[in-house]
Amino acid sequence: MIEIKNLVKRYGSLVALDHLNLHIKEGEIFGLLGPNGSGKTTAINCMLALLKFDRGSIRIMGEEMSPDNYRIKKEIGVVMQDVAVFNELTVHDNIDYFCSLYIKDRKRCRELVEDAIRFAGLEEYRKVYPKKLSGGLLRRLNIACGIAHRPRLIFLDEPTVAVDPQSRNQILEGICELNRQGSTIIYTSHYMEEVEQICTRIAIMDHGRCIASGTKEELKKMIRTGETVVIEAVSLEEEQLEQIRSLPGVFTVEYEEQVLTVRCTGTKHNLLRILGWLQEREIPFGQVFSQLPTLNDVFLEITGKQLRD
Amino acid sequence: MLKQMKYALLTKLRNPSIVFWPFLFPLALATLMYFAIGQMDQADFETVPAAVVVEEEGEAVDSFLPFVDAMDESSGLIRAEKMTEEAALKALEKGEAEGIFYVGNDVRLTVSGNGFPESILQSVLASYQSGEEAVKDIARLHPEGMQDALEKMKEYDTAVNQVSLGGTTIDGNVQIFYALIGMACLYGCFIGFGCALWLQANLTALAARRCVAPVHRLKLILTEFGAGFLVHFANMIVLLAYMRYVLKLEFTGSFAEMTGLVLVGSMFGVSMGIFVGSLGKVGEGIRIGILLGISMSLSFLAGLMDASVKDAVEQHAPVLSRVNPAALISDALYCINVYDAPERFADNMVILIIMSALMVGGAFLIVRRERYGSI
Repeated sequence: MIEIKNLVKRYGSLVALDHLNLHIKEGEIFGLLGPNGSGKTTAINCMLALLKFDRGSIRIMGEEMSPDNYRIKKEIGVVMQDVAVFNELTVHDNIDYFCSLYIKDRKRCRELVEDAIRFAGLEEYRKVYPKKLSGGLLRRLNIACGIAHRPRLIFLDEPTVAVDPQSRNQILEGICELNRQGSTIIYTSHYMEEVEQICTRIAIMDHGRCIASGTKEELKKMIRTGETVVIEAVSLEEEQLEQIRSLPGVFTVEYEEQVLTVRCTGTKHNLLRILGWLQEREIPFGQVFSQLPTLNDVFLEITGKQLRD
Repeated sequence: MLKQMKYALLTKLRNPSIVFWPFLFPLALATLMYFAIGQMDQADFETVPAAVVVEEEGEAVDSFLPFVDAMDESSGLIRAEKMTEEAALKALEKGEAEGIFYVGNDVRLTVSGNGFPESILQSVLASYQSGEEAVKDIARLHPEGMQDALEKMKEYDTAVNQVSLGGTTIDGNVQIFYALIGMACLYGCFIGFGCALWLQANLTALAARRCVAPVHRLKLILTEFGAGFLVHFANMIVLLAYMRYVLKLEFTGSFAEMTGLVLVGSMFGVSMGIFVGSLGKVGEGIRIGILLGISMSLSFLAGLMDASVKDAVEQHAPVLSRVNPAALISDALYCINVYDAPERFADNMVILIIMSALMVGGAFLIVRRERYGSI
């Protein structure tokens, strides 16, 4: 569906995209995950032929993307990071306007607009102006405007920014539904939980480069962390921390404000081993958590920093 | 395209900033100017009190006293009272008189200040003195007609009857309103600028969203231009009708021709806004500044603040008047209402249409296939 090769985009001396390579297959929900400024939106804008780039190529549906390739544009739906609707038009009229840019048949357009309103759960707000909508509803309107014409390929650039949890879940469910209906989705976010929840394949970006890509299982297998053990309200000396570091399977130990975080490899019984060590020395402790590796762990191990740094 | 045009119209009609400058502001300005100029014409000056001291029975006594009496009756500008010199000086000191006319063989004026009342007394004296020469000439050449001459002086009639070359309006103040119509047409640039903001992906998210739609750029520009033009043309029709039928300004020419003129003028204003709005790599604030600067400068040169400026430009830099859209519109209104010069009117219209086409074409060339360096 999309083939990006050696894409380079510079803003003066700043390299926004550094030889980016991506291959996105039809039917995927492809996640572009990375911290703010990692180049996700720049990559999307290059794919949409909005931004000039310095080197590389972008092919969508087998054709080179350009500002006047209307055949390809017709198949694309876009949900911008910033809400892009007319404040002077009602919810219905906004969706109708954007749908009419793609669909010439009036009857068909009317049907699609009604479907989009239902899809976004905006039935009660069809005559309301955007300024009167809450943040979540506004985001849903933004999405409805982007997908009303039933595109084959949908770009969703951080569609859940500043959205309440309820609306966020509705949006994520909606995206999965669009994918079930046959659309390929490119989804950018810096919320790893969202990407992990809905994406079938993920590319992790940092400093304009794709530092890892694959399914979430493939990504997690790339790293040493197999389990993260967190123990709260525990009081330890530096010498004791050194002893924990030397336990089998443990490879990093962090201790801050009486919270012990131990990263272990994928070996068995890591939690029991650590708790046994504490009990042997009669060291009291509070709550205990054991987590499987997350995409943040992947990002942390590859880049040495947290995803939300 | 019709649906897009409909929504483009709605977005403009519901946008308060677009409604204010091109629509409400010219209406308000026209109203203010109407009352300002109207009050100037109808100003009720207070009658200036003056003392008259007859120094000796001379030839000026018989002519000046009837002259000031006639002035009082006809215009109410001055109220002259005959008194002794001592009483006159006291009245001057107390402010009961603004000046003293000493009348003997000639007339002299003494005033205590240099304000507006003193200027009126001085102009009355000047007026008398110019007439006095005529009286003396009559006395020397036709003494038998002296009585009739003095009677004529008392009547103080104007002998000049102003007529228009085209047989229509002769009101000089109307020129300012012509320039105001020119300015209002140019204010369509704010509508055009708003259109351009919705066309340039590097300016707004909405524009970026529209740019990824499968719609030819020229179609997008023409839709925006068409909607902007229709809105501004309606603005201008309302303004024109308001000036002609409510303010009852002397727009005695053909309303159809004036409608045609503001149609072309609106087209130019909106296209100028789209063109300036499309200029790349210039900040939004700078673009608005450019638009304001251009529209106000052109309106000034067309005589908006001072009607004589247009004449001066026409005299010293006629080429500037031929490319200044505000001056072209103002001049075309003159052609309709004053000169009765259809050829010149047509020339102005053609120049405006060509300039509009160049602006829209230029805007299209700027944005047609544009990918942006940054968004």
